Amino acid sequence: MRAIDITEQHPMVDESTDALEAARLMARLSLPGLVIRGDAKHPYTVLPASQVLRFVIPAYVQEDPALARVYGERAADLMASKLAGRTIGEVMPARRELSAVPRVNHDDTLIEVCAVMASFHSPMVVVGRGAEIVGTITIRRLLEVLFPDAGAAPDEQAPA
Amino acid sequence: MTLLVIAAFVAAYVLIATERIHRVAAALWGAGAMVVLGAVNAESAFFSEDTGIDWNVIFLLLGMMIIVGIVKQTGVFEFIAIWSAKRARGRPFRVMVMLVVLTAVASALLDNVTTVLLVAPVTLLVCERLGTSPVPFLLAEAMASNIGGTATLIGDPPNIIIAGRSGITFNDFVINLGPIVVLLMIVFVGLAWLLWGRKMQVDSERAESIMELDEREAIDDKRLLVLCGVVLLLVLAGFVLRPLIGIEPSMVALLGAGVLVALSRSRPSVYLHDVEWPTLVFFAGLFIMVGALVKVGVIETVGQWAAGLIGDNLVVAHSALLIGSGVLSGIVDNIPYVATMSPIVEQLVSSTGDPTLWWSLALGSDLGGNATAVGASANVVIIGIAARNGVRISFWEFTRYGLIVTAVTLLITWAYVLLRFAP
Repeated sequence: MRAIDITEQHPMVDESTDALEAARLMARLSLPGLVIRGDAKHPYTVLPASQVLRFVIPAYVQEDPALARVYGERAADLMASKLAGRTIGEVMPARRELSAVPRVNHDDTLIEVCAVMASFHSPMVVVGRGAEIVGTITIRRLLEVLFPDAGAAPDEQAPA
Repeated sequence: MTLLVIAAFVAAYVLIATERIHRVAAALWGAGAMVVLGAVNAESAFFSEDTGIDWNVIFLLLGMMIIVGIVKQTGVFEFIAIWSAKRARGRPFRVMVMLVVLTAVASALLDNVTTVLLVAPVTLLVCERLGTSPVPFLLAEAMASNIGGTATLIGDPPNIIIAGRSGITFNDFVINLGPIVVLLMIVFVGLAWLLWGRKMQVDSERAESIMELDEREAIDDKRLLVLCGVVLLLVLAGFVLRPLIGIEPSMVALLGAGVLVALSRSRPSVYLHDVEWPTLVFFAGLFIMVGALVKVGVIETVGQWAAGLIGDNLVVAHSALLIGSGVLSGIVDNIPYVATMSPIVEQLVSSTGDPTLWWSLALGSDLGGNATAVGASANVVIIGIAARNGVRISFWEFTRYGLIVTAVTLLITWAYVLLRFAP
């Protein structure tokens, strides 16, 4: 099986995309990350969902987890509102702090896809054919294909 | 060779002061140059008390960094800071005063760089809740840390260097510098009102949001908190009781760190996380550079020249050391400044027979660090934390307030020094 066989079409976002909208998009489509396009409309990085959470948590809380505990329930609920009116470009880390886009070729084998995902610590890779981007592969899709007989675990099965 | 050693020293110093390359690289470059020039060998660099690395300073810093790294896990600073902000009922200036006093006291008991690392994040949180700019708070905390740290042997890196060179004890620092530091903090709170406090607005709704924070949640391991409290008290007792127990502060700090590591069952990745290895290497490089100057006789010559100028006029000696150190520490980082000046002051103390000259060096260099953004490590650290959180504090923004605070605190200190040490 080749990368193109498990490629899916997921929306990519630009730096000018509304950050709140992008977060909602990830939740709605159960995406493990976001592919970010640059000025030339070419993807330049993948932001895993866990990194997107950094958008809503101030850097000082990330540096000092004890501070996360002191927020009351209402303040914690309101934290997401910080994204309102801001773009992806405004909330994401500086480009130099981002790793390059994890990319595989359309004819790469699944083991090559696994290797790229593992080395980039990325739950999502971009699939390219020459200069063209033909889609993305998520970790979920890859695991479904790698372990096709997994099915539901016994304790997850509905009672008879 | 002496001229070459001086040239290498000045070149390394310029690199450190201008930050053209990282200060650690500059100090190592300088130390390496001294080795290549033949002014330093393994014997003089590693085993000589006069010309080598002061291991007491290095290991005192290492021990305290390990202790603080574990204490930090308890969340006690977050607890105290938020508790203080709530006691101030969210009124901005009162919050500032509480945080500034907390910073000054913690700086005296731990060290000022670590303290600002702990206080700055919680300050950003409180200011975000208050909807006010964190810049005045962070500036005030950096300056309070430099003032508070002046009071003790472990409070500010220059004091540790001075203690290593002079043999001055923890108690000597507290007795001689403690009173003026308390006075300076009272004055500083007044200055903070004039510089920032009188312009602060109270927003009752925002102030109320401070009351929603739950400081008790910051502490999630009470056993570790108690353990850290006990060990810290024992370490401070060890510093205070040195005349009785005869154990060097570096040994006390290392013992405390060892006990805390063993009893807290922390992993190396936790207790070594906050050890600033670059700072320790920087100190080692500086000691070798200065040791080379001592070895080739430059320090002795400068010391004799200074002693000749001063004669037995202690007023001139104290004034020159205090004001000169205050000015120079604002221009260059006070750590390399004090590392260079300590052997010179040692000569002056020897020629004048007046050990109180050490206090003028300590006060001048510690308080002078407030003058500019690069004057003290705490300033650099707090500006870095602010930048990572999208808060920009420019060199000049720091400096225009820092110069006022430094001028006022140095003037008051000058009067104190002359009245107490050169009557």
